[in-house]
Amino acid sequence: MSDQLAARIKEIIVETLALEDVEPASIETDAPLFGEGLGLDSIDALELALAFHKEFGVRTQENDENNREYYHSVGSLVKFITEKQAEAAASEG
Amino acid sequence: MIDHLKHWIRRFNVWITVGSYMTLAPVGYVILAFLCFCWRKDPIRRARRLQAITAKAYRFMHRWLGWTRITVFDHRCALPDLPKGPCVVIANHPTLMDVTAVTAVMGGACSIVKPALFRRALISPLLAGLGHVEGPGKDPLRIGKVVDDVGKRLEWGLPFVIFPEGTRSPRGGLGRFGRVAFEVACRANVPLVCLTITCEPVYLAKHVPLFSPPHPTPHMQIGVLAIDEPGTLGSDSRALRKKVEARYHAWLEGLAS
Repeated sequence: MSDQLAARIKEIIVETLALEDVEPASIETDAPLFGEGLGLDSIDALELALAFHKEFGVRTQENDENNREYYHSVGSLVKFITEKQAEAAASEG
Repeated sequence: MIDHLKHWIRRFNVWITVGSYMTLAPVGYVILAFLCFCWRKDPIRRARRLQAITAKAYRFMHRWLGWTRITVFDHRCALPDLPKGPCVVIANHPTLMDVTAVTAVMGGACSIVKPALFRRALISPLLAGLGHVEGPGKDPLRIGKVVDDVGKRLEWGLPFVIFPEGTRSPRGGLGRFGRVAFEVACRANVPLVCLTITCEPVYLAKHVPLFSPPHPTPHMQIGVLAIDEPGTLGSDSRALRKKVEARYHAWLEGLAS
């Protein structure tokens, strides 16, 4: 499940940010997305947050000190999205 | 021997200058705070007036640095074809003096300020009054608010200075450009002015501290590399960044050769 989610997140990153020279599979799950790794910036983060909300129904709160941690890598995004979805399911149930 | 003496005189001048600044700065802050309070009813007019005063103060500061041979920079340098209205100004960032130099040349300009500085109790109202914008800090998603705030300043008719590297340039090089400057220029549909800054020998770079001024006297220069209309690239901030970043690299390669 988490592998599938990671693969989908990688696809969304490439599609949303129009990364022409990057194959989704070439993005390492634990590599940093910002700065040294994939080299994304904060505007990219904003676009990704909108894309994740659209795809997974997960809203990223502005001013959350943990956002940097959540958006560190594909692996941390998998954890973040899984947790948020579980929280939403629990509150609905 | 004479060079050695000049070097020590310059170091002494730096100490005198810093001492004078520490003594006079509180007076300047009080005056600005007073004006900020007096003009509080119209934030746009207040920002414009305070920016003009700040630009004059920075011009005096650079004149002083020239008199004391700490750095030489002529703020009256002709920058042709600068837009009269709001624009986004970007530049490479070789030294800490870039902000003051660009503000002196532009006659005032807003910028993004680190939250740690922006939220300091006594300084915060002044920075807000001047129209500066609080940066995103550690939360990358706060950039949405920053982009909106910068857009408002551009609507006020003020130029906005952004160093796209986000920090001072590495020695003789260029850091990776972030997209904020390009995004706001595209959204507001205002010209993007690309300035070049040189300081030879470099001073107040990350590896050159304040109290170790280099020898000979550093000369700072500002030039216009290009002015872009975002519409020509379909207001695509990614494409605009790519084009401008490549242009800056070409300029640096030209300097090196």
